[in-house]
Amino acid sequence: MTTATGPGADDAPIQAEGLVRTFGSGELAVRAVDGVDLRVGAGEVFGFLGPNGAGKSTTVRMLTTLLRPTAGTARVAGYDVVSEADQVRRSIGVALQDAAIDPLMTGIELLRLQAVLYGVERSQQKRRAGELLERVGLSAAGDRRVGTYSGGMRRRLDLALSLIHEPSVLFLDEPTTGLDPMSRMTLWEEIQRLNDDGTTVLLTTQYLEEADQLADRIAIIDGGRIVREGDPAALKAEVGAPTLFIDVDATRTDEARAVLAAFGDPRPTAEGTLGVGLTAGAAEVSAVIRALDEAGIAVERLELSEPSLNDVFAEATGYRLEGAETGGAATDEP
Amino acid sequence: MTVERLDDTAMAAGTASTTAVPRGVGSGALVASALGLAVRNLRNIRRLPSAFLPALMMPLVQSIAFSGTFFAITQVPGFPTDRSINWFMPLAVVMGASFAGIGIGFSTVRDLESGFYDRLRMAPVSRRALLLGPLFGVWVRTLILMVIVIGTGLALGARLTGGLFGLAALIVVGLGVSVVGTGWGLGLAYRFGDMRASAFMQLGLFLALFLTSAQAPLSIMTGWLYYVARVNPFTPVIDLARIGFVEPGTVERPWVGLVALVLLAAVAMGFADRGLRRLSR
Amino acid sequence: MSTDVTSHRDDPAMTITIARSERRQSLWAQTAAMSSRSITAFLRQPALVVPSLVFPLFFAALGTSSFSQAIDLPGFPPVQSFLDFALAGTIIQGVLFGSITGATALATDIDNGFFDRLLTTPTSRSSILIGRLAGAMAFGGVQTIIFIAVLLPFGLRIQSGVLGAAVMVLGGVLTALAVGALLSIMALRTGSPEAVQGSFPLLFVLLFFSSAFFPRQTMTGVYRRLADANPISYLVEAFRDLTIEALSLGAVVRLMVISGLAALVTVTMALRALNRRLVKP
Repeated sequence: MTTATGPGADDAPIQAEGLVRTFGSGELAVRAVDGVDLRVGAGEVFGFLGPNGAGKSTTVRMLTTLLRPTAGTARVAGYDVVSEADQVRRSIGVALQDAAIDPLMTGIELLRLQAVLYGVERSQQKRRAGELLERVGLSAAGDRRVGTYSGGMRRRLDLALSLIHEPSVLFLDEPTTGLDPMSRMTLWEEIQRLNDDGTTVLLTTQYLEEADQLADRIAIIDGGRIVREGDPAALKAEVGAPTLFIDVDATRTDEARAVLAAFGDPRPTAEGTLGVGLTAGAAEVSAVIRALDEAGIAVERLELSEPSLNDVFAEATGYRLEGAETGGAATDEP
Repeated sequence: MTVERLDDTAMAAGTASTTAVPRGVGSGALVASALGLAVRNLRNIRRLPSAFLPALMMPLVQSIAFSGTFFAITQVPGFPTDRSINWFMPLAVVMGASFAGIGIGFSTVRDLESGFYDRLRMAPVSRRALLLGPLFGVWVRTLILMVIVIGTGLALGARLTGGLFGLAALIVVGLGVSVVGTGWGLGLAYRFGDMRASAFMQLGLFLALFLTSAQAPLSIMTGWLYYVARVNPFTPVIDLARIGFVEPGTVERPWVGLVALVLLAAVAMGFADRGLRRLSR
Repeated sequence: MSTDVTSHRDDPAMTITIARSERRQSLWAQTAAMSSRSITAFLRQPALVVPSLVFPLFFAALGTSSFSQAIDLPGFPPVQSFLDFALAGTIIQGVLFGSITGATALATDIDNGFFDRLLTTPTSRSSILIGRLAGAMAFGGVQTIIFIAVLLPFGLRIQSGVLGAAVMVLGGVLTALAVGALLSIMALRTGSPEAVQGSFPLLFVLLFFSSAFFPRQTMTGVYRRLADANPISYLVEAFRDLTIEALSLGAVVRLMVISGLAALVTVTMALRALNRRLVKP
């Protein structure tokens, strides 16, 4: 996959070249990130997808100066993440996975601590904290301890904290994991608004829907390498064929699979369901049914789905990401 | 599928870019940032009393329990004081102060486990602020502790034979060993990143402080402990803490205690500093 | 509380006639199964078991080296070395440390629902509790043997001989039962492992306000009166008499009666707490 290197790509606020990160040494060494190249243009929302343990968080931790690359280089906001870590820190805002916030502090206290750490002038701290609380709709809860906040409130506060110094680049590590649909929608709107104001956003997510909604461009990482990159529409078109999902009697699965093979390539599915990418398009559905019928296999359930990011993802990684839990990819990243 | 490398010319051009000039403000000043972190630490005295009260009670109970239980020990010929509270209260201050220091190790482990510490590490502040902030907090906690423990000790009959200079020595040692405890606690917290660190924090300090003249002066000790305590750098430190409460002249080399204290504090903070740097490695 | 835990059965009369002998048998089997589970749990947690052996020995070694000259003080019983004096306190300390493990395990069982699952099985309810304590008892006996075996080469002398040592092991078992039951009450009332572990410092303080580390006869004032009133003093002294005096029926009976009585009281209370839990969970 070739990265777009059109005009202005030089100024890309996030650039990584050959980024490698190993954990441990010798025989036990694990290459969590194995040669990642990234280029996120100014004003882009970039979706970074991958199964658990694929290297998403490790990459983000390197880009946000929390972890040193074993090899390769990365520049964020024009600064090297290793030799100019301090400048990088000043330029980026990061909302962390699980919204790690000290539960004993109040929202305002956290914002003011953040303001101090980012060198916001004393006279401005209070005003800035107030503005941000209002922006994320937490003004009423500012004096309450974070321990009493709901999941959605924590994420919004987390976002506010990452904005204290008006960063030009924003990293959001799974910003909506575990949130209810309403809270997720609120956060999406806020992220969209920030992007409209010119902030570059790198977003990791488990939810393909989220990437579809927000991202201008996505990259899929698997086994520490980027396996797909591009804008969502193009990637979907590449997968091309719509997927037909079929449930049949469990004892006849193998026969059914053989019948389906005539219509296209098998697609990864949930346990107990068969999937086939219809090479000749949706019109083939009736032919599939007829073929199964002739083989004497009763169809218990049938679903046709247009190519989605999920198909892109499944095709690229062999996993299907429905929500978060998918078999086979349970290990968390170190 | 493999990853294709970026076009070389684009790479070369990319390195020179400085487009995204931060709209933000600047780095947090060292002292302001450290104070901000110290305030957070101190707030938790009130918000998480279950973490502070035991740290306060321990030296109080220790000074009472040791001087009550070993009341008669001062009658051993050659013992440098005739009041057991004089002997054990300064010890309790030293132990309490050092454990106040490793208390910050515990809370740092909590921050590391929750991920909050990542946020602090991403802030554009000097790494020194991340060490000094908690240390300032520990100093305030130690001062509170010393006021209460020394006050109680005096109320229970401790006699300040060494005058104000002796009291100052105890306070200096208290603040100094709290630095040692802080460095040790933070260093282990960074290295382990989880609660396994707490066992090592406590055990290490416990051994270091008890394998000294903690219970009895070197002059009346026998056997293996004498040889260990004689070379343990904490022995002159504890002796210095007691200088105001024992017979004048019994602490022969107070300067050794002061030097040992400074060295121990420097080594411990260096240990913490290296641990903090290792976090990103 | 007199709630019979089996009384909810449909036909109690029948159950009793058929199952009396069977039940007695299965009670043993159940208790044995529970015990082996709790003993295995001990062995699988070296991080919890090792400190309960090492710390008491460390304090014994520390005291022996620090206080060797204290044995000549007025009020000190006639002993050949401080180590002989210290053994009794070492055993009690070890048992206190060790019992926390079992009681914490019980509280964890309650906390994570395993206890409730046990209660839904036809396992006798008291065998659940006794099984838990059996692990602690076995460990208490083993600890006593280990302490004696480790300290003998360092000059420990048991004046009452092998027979006296055997009685002390039995005393260790009973003491472990008493302490284990006491902590189980806490576990049953709160169901929180933290609360059980949090009670440990309190027990340790109680130990200090007794004659575990120094003779009561050398203490004065309020502290002396507290130690006089503290039942732990008498338990420790019963162990101590068997260490530092020749074997006598009186000493044997004293240890058995004191530790047995303590166990009886705390086990009764623990069974009550269990029944209360069953009545309103």
